[in-house]
Amino acid sequence: RIMPVRWSRYNPSYLEPEVKTELYQKPLEELTEEEREQMELKAVRPIKAAPPTLSSSVFSDPMISKFTNMMMKSGNKVLARSLMSQTLEAIKRKQLEKYHKAPENEKETIECNPYVIFHQALKNCQPIIGLSNITRGGKTYQVPVPLTDNRKRFLAMKWLITECRENKHRRTMMPEKLSQELLLAFNNEGPVIKKKHVLHKMAEANRAYAHFRWW
Amino acid sequence: TLRLICTTTAVQRKNVGASGPEKYTEAFIKKQIEEFNLGKRHLANMMGEDPETFTQEDIDRAIAYLFPSGLFDQQARPVMKHPTEIFPEQRKIQWGEDGRPFHFLFYTGKQSYYSLMHETYEKLLNVQKHQDQLMDEDLPLQKEKRNLAGSRWLTKIELEEMLLEKVSDDDYSRFIQLLQKLVALPCADIEEKYIQKFSKEVPVQLQKVLIEPLQYDERGVAFSTGEGKRKTASATAVVYDNGTGKITVNGIDILHYFPVLQDREQLLFPFQFLGRIGKHDMVCTVSGGGRSAQAGAIRLASAKALRSFVTEKEVEFMRQAGLLTVDPRVKERKKPGQEGPRRKFTWKKR
Repeated sequence: RIMPVRWSRYNPSYLEPEVKTELYQKPLEELTEEEREQMELKAVRPIKAAPPTLSSSVFSDPMISKFTNMMMKSGNKVLARSLMSQTLEAIKRKQLEKYHKAPENEKETIECNPYVIFHQALKNCQPIIGLSNITRGGKTYQVPVPLTDNRKRFLAMKWLITECRENKHRRTMMPEKLSQELLLAFNNEGPVIKKKHVLHKMAEANRAYAHFRWW
Repeated sequence: TLRLICTTTAVQRKNVGASGPEKYTEAFIKKQIEEFNLGKRHLANMMGEDPETFTQEDIDRAIAYLFPSGLFDQQARPVMKHPTEIFPEQRKIQWGEDGRPFHFLFYTGKQSYYSLMHETYEKLLNVQKHQDQLMDEDLPLQKEKRNLAGSRWLTKIELEEMLLEKVSDDDYSRFIQLLQKLVALPCADIEEKYIQKFSKEVPVQLQKVLIEPLQYDERGVAFSTGEGKRKTASATAVVYDNGTGKITVNGIDILHYFPVLQDREQLLFPFQFLGRIGKHDMVCTVSGGGRSAQAGAIRLASAKALRSFVTEKEVEFMRQAGLLTVDPRVKERKKPGQEGPRRKFTWKKR
């Protein structure tokens, strides 16, 4: 999933490491043709070292670590990580409050797992189509363009973080504001979802220029 | 584009073969070989030994005896060797005495490369014709899959050595694409011999590293050691069997030495991956580097130590999870004319 930036200290023949234990415990018969070929390839090629953010424990999630890295300022990973854990705790607390106050029949619909809420909120925030500036004959047009998966995830996370940093009261803490935003995004409300809809409407409005795209 | 910062030994060898057109004709080389053989026999006669069984070592000894030289540089002393070792194997001059070149593709500039491409394409057409013949006769096409994982194509340097002329990156990739197209056809087994000229065996398993056997200390408890490095930190770990999962670093418990959760996660990563969290004790020493580098070094050291406790299959799984490779990433150096490794000075218009 992670692409090398310009050049890397590894030889291009090095492959990405696979950390999940479930894939290694599957017996040989259950693998499909492609997986078998991949296993053979992995047996011959050297493999890169696992980065310090990646671990095989249940608690490490690649999406959460990406989000933590984006929240980090000047390399202060300790602070970013603590903010992230406080956010998840805040989400859990709010959901539990709602759970205990809700009547019996609605108790099953309330989602208490903060990881599930985080993933669903990010998915809801991801735009489907983006705009790119293309200059033709002196004028710059905003052309609707399909986005890659990486770009969608990046935009969703970036919007969430900028939204939390700017549009909050001076005294509110980041975890609190982030948990609020994530819960709103989980229910398809909130400013980030609005931003996504605005982008989609702009893309729909500029549909006429779609033929400017050459890739 | 990915620029190669890391180089293999193949790249570092200077390719003498493809540096330029030869200055010696084939006839010249032949004459030199005849003169060398005659000289060898004369030398043998002079030394009083049998001319038939006069080896290269005898020649060296004879020359050192007859022409003693006190020069320090070994390559400056008088040497008598077979002409193929003295005159590097470069392309002989490609044209005859009348100035007419031998090869019909000489004026393209890359005669051997283009002739190779022509040959390979001819083989491809051959295979396609064979395939059409089989289809006409309604016979089943042979679908034996070649073992792609166990072999690799020739590198650019090796191809240059084979053709004795320079090959550019574009040309090399085109050639490889053509070979891959040839291999992808179902009836490629006919041209197997031709393809084998351009493919090399890769060592089947990357498990060339020896796994040390377990050592036993005074109480009878099995233990094994491992060493690890990351950035500037180096660590040694001793993993004991029949333990409770206690980990000590430089005499201090990990809860006090690594207050950050991420570092402790990294220490426990190899144990958690193998499912042996409460079964081993660990005592490590680490020095140098920062907080994260020390954690990475201890992780590598403990993974290397755990190899002796575990089956070969699990060692292979650990390698595929990236636990056993040394992380080559280090701090990039600052360059002159720039403020840091990548950041340039502020650009001022005037």
